[in-house]
Order: sequence, then structure tokens, then C-alpha cells
Amino acid sequence: MGVAVSLLLVVAIVLGSHCLRDFDSALLPYAVASVFLAFGVAYRYTMWISAPGARRLFRQGWRSFFSMDNFRKAPTALPKMIATYLGFQKFLGARSHARWAAHQLMFWGCLLAAAITFPLTWGWFTFTSSTGSGPGYEMRIWGIKVIGYDSASILGWLMFHGLDIAAVLVIPGAAYFLWRRMKDRGAMTGQRFAYDLVPLIALIVVSVTGLLLTFSSIFLHGGGYEFLAIMHMVSVVFTLIYIPFGKFFHIVQRPAAVGMQLFKYTTREDEQIFHCRRCQEPIDTGPYVENLRSTMRDLDLGFDQWAEYCPRCKRVLRGSAYLTQVKKGFK
Amino acid sequence: MMGKTIFIDPGRCIGCQACVSACRECDSHRGKSMIHLDYTDPGQSVASLPSVCMHCEDPVAPCAEVCPADAILITADGVVQQADESRCIGCSNCVNACPFGVPKIDLQAKLQMKCNLCYDRTAYGLAPMCATVCPTGALFYGTLEELQAERPGVQVADSFTFGDVVVSTGVAMVVPADKVQWPVPGGLPVVEVNGVDVR
Repeated sequence: MGVAVSLLLVVAIVLGSHCLRDFDSALLPYAVASVFLAFGVAYRYTMWISAPGARRLFRQGWRSFFSMDNFRKAPTALPKMIATYLGFQKFLGARSHARWAAHQLMFWGCLLAAAITFPLTWGWFTFTSSTGSGPGYEMRIWGIKVIGYDSASILGWLMFHGLDIAAVLVIPGAAYFLWRRMKDRGAMTGQRFAYDLVPLIALIVVSVTGLLLTFSSIFLHGGGYEFLAIMHMVSVVFTLIYIPFGKFFHIVQRPAAVGMQLFKYTTREDEQIFHCRRCQEPIDTGPYVENLRSTMRDLDLGFDQWAEYCPRCKRVLRGSAYLTQVKKGFK
Repeated sequence: MMGKTIFIDPGRCIGCQACVSACRECDSHRGKSMIHLDYTDPGQSVASLPSVCMHCEDPVAPCAEVCPADAILITADGVVQQADESRCIGCSNCVNACPFGVPKIDLQAKLQMKCNLCYDRTAYGLAPMCATVCPTGALFYGTLEELQAERPGVQVADSFTFGDVVVSTGVAMVVPADKVQWPVPGGLPVVEVNGVDVR
């Protein structure tokens, strides 16, 4: 699977860059890292959804997605979930407003950077000027002119500083999380350097070295540019290679959670609520409980019928059993 | 059973809720109590049962096994940690699969939380908050030898039955000496006999 996705990306790079005519060889290390990234993500993703818990919810999510019946009943459910859950990440606001704000800065910054970097390194975006040095520029995607602009205009400035803007968004967001990882005792509990701190440091190094490239070209007349370019390249390549194996993998996992929510939402709309066998309190939707029981059976957890009782009743029943069958009072 | 762990003795519990209040002070889930204190027969009996995470060893952490996002990690010392915040998707699989009814879920925050044996304290050799404040010793933290030195002749069990399944845990419960060979009943009612629903 990983090899197939990597090969597919290589073919897309070759075709998208007009048989490498538009490919910028200076960006080759980035392109190679992105091919490795495709392999790593596809491999890890395949492994991840092979586990019973993920596999069953993954299937249910796609089943809900492809159901015309669901689409007719709630056509806005999916776009709304994508916007509120993946885009604006409302759930993070419920955890902490500061963390939500910092994560939004990182999220939009990384998204902007990825939207610029990947097509650029794959030779899909090209910028051409009929007069050689401008000021009139054309932006082409796969060789097709998309927009023409004056490099001295606001649009031109935005086009050439897109990655600087992304860096300015990412740095305060990542710096906040890094500060939190060093000060907040809750966050520090059980934290691991490679898993929790390295991704934040990597994001900051990528952003700072990227900004220094602009600083060098504007204020130092290109002084130290080559060294900075190598530093930037090394940090970006490291980050891309790290994505499938560390904390960044949640970027790939999160969209799958929308499927889980859609599955629960559509069954809840059908009022398929499952109630606790003992106290009749609602547990979740019926299809969800059945899905969980199947997952437990897949895993040889032979007490799947216990999922039909709410957590409180499980504890009370255990307490009663202890009281009647094991020990009563202080002995 | 873990080397240094919590020993629960429901017979000593007076339902004072000191553990519930102290649990809120734990740095890893500040303001939210992860321990459960249930009154098994309210109005009829004062019996109560404190429930912390039992840190299941065999099968190892069913909550982690059913997690679709690989969010629940088990550290080398056998402690089943609460869900990783960047991974948890708030699906409730762990909440409903746990045979002891321990994990909690915040549906707004899409985050599971559970007792992690006060990892911010136990990782540095301190006792968990609940065991620190329990006035009657219903929650004891230490090794089995330490417990037996303090309470001569005490016996504990670290396996529980749920139907035909026996779950071995890292946390143990105090049992009478004549019942030490038994797994403690998990409370799962008999719902089926020879394929017939007997509820």
C-alpha cells in the first residue's frame, strides 16, 4: 500500500510538472521527502485501520457517508462536522480557550504552508514573467494560467510571502504549546521528549529558518542565504519524515473521526438509542453498542454483553457482588 | 498485580468522599475527579465502593484494545494512562468496554479521562491523592508486603470474573483469607443460560 501510494505520487509529480520540465531541481530533497512521507503515511494508516477498533468504526463511517438515505435526511451534517470539527476545532475550545487559539494558529499556518510547499516542490505551481524580472507575473497550476498579478501589488506581496505569513502564524502557536509543556504540570505528566516536544521544536525551527531566509534576502543582501537554505531544508525534510511516526500522525487520524461522528449522528437521528439494561439510562446509539460488542468479540474480550450496562451500574453491580459474595464490613 | 499499587478494601469505606475531593487536586486532571464512589444500595445500606482504574494486566487494558485511535498508552510500569489529548476522538469505546466502569468522557471536549494512578505523583514515589487522604485505609498505596506489615493476615485478590472471563489487574482488592483463591466476582449478571436469555 505504502509503495503504491509513493509510486502514484511520483507519477503525479512527473505528469504535473510536464515530464519534469517545470520541476525545480533545487527543491529535489523536499520532493523526495514528500514521497517518503506518502509511503510512511500510507503504511501507518493501513496498519492503523487493520486493528479491530479502528477498522469497524472506519467501515461504519464510510457506510454512513455513502448512504443516500442519510444524505437525504441530513444533507448539511457532514459539511457542518468538517467545518466545526476539522476546521475550527470547536472541541478544543471546550478543553481550553488558550489551547484552542494556539492550535488554530498552528493549524491554519501549517495548512497554508502545506498548500504552498507541496505543489511548489512537485513542480505543479510555476511563476513566470514574460518580461524576465517582472513586475507582471503569472501563476500557473499544471501549466495552466490561473492568475496574473503585479509583483509590487498587495496580491503580489501576499503571493511571495505566503510562507512567511504561515511562519508568523505557526511560531506563536507552537511557542505557546512549548511553554505549556515546560510549565503546566498536567501537560508535563508522562510527557516524552520525542513525542511531545520534538514536533513543537521542529515546527519552530522550520518557521524561524524560513523567516530568516526572507530576512537574509531583504536586510542582508543574501548574506548567509545558502547556509540558512540548507538549515531550512534539513528541518523541513526531518519534519516531513517524522510525520507518520510521531504526534503529527493525528493530522492524518483526525479526519477519520468525522466518519465516527457521522455514524453516531445518523443513527441518533433515527432515534436508535440503546438504554442501560439495569437503570434505563441512555448509553449510546444501538448500532454503536453493537459495533463495540463486535469489536470486543474480535479482540476475544469475552465480556461484551457487559457493554449493555452503563458504567455506574457496572460499578454498583460489582459492589453488590463484593458485598454479598466476598466480604461485608470491616474484617 | 503491580509492585507498588492501590489496595481497595470496600469493607473499610465510610463513603466520606474525601478521595473524590482529593482526586480533583491531581495535576494531571485538575478540577475533575476521576475516582468513583458508589453507594451500592442507597437508602437501605451505607455500603459504598470506591473505584479507581484497576490497570488491567490480562487481558491488557481492554480500554486501550478497543480504542480506534491508539490513544490509550500503557507505560512500562503497567500504568494504563488516560487518553492522549491529541489522539482521543471521544468515541466512548473505552468507557463502554471497561469491565469496571471506570473511564469518563467529556463529549464537548471529545476527550476521555480516567484514573492514571496520579502519575504525576506515583512516578516520583508519592502516593496517589485518594490513598493519601483516605481516613480509614479503604484505599492503601504500597506493596503487598507493606500492606501485610500494617494489617497482619490480610489477603488480597487481583483477578475478577465477568461471566467465564477472568481479568487480572494491577490494582488489588482486600478479601477474606478463605476466599483468597477465588477471583472476585465482577458483578456481571447472568443473562444467558445455554443460549436462552434469562433476564
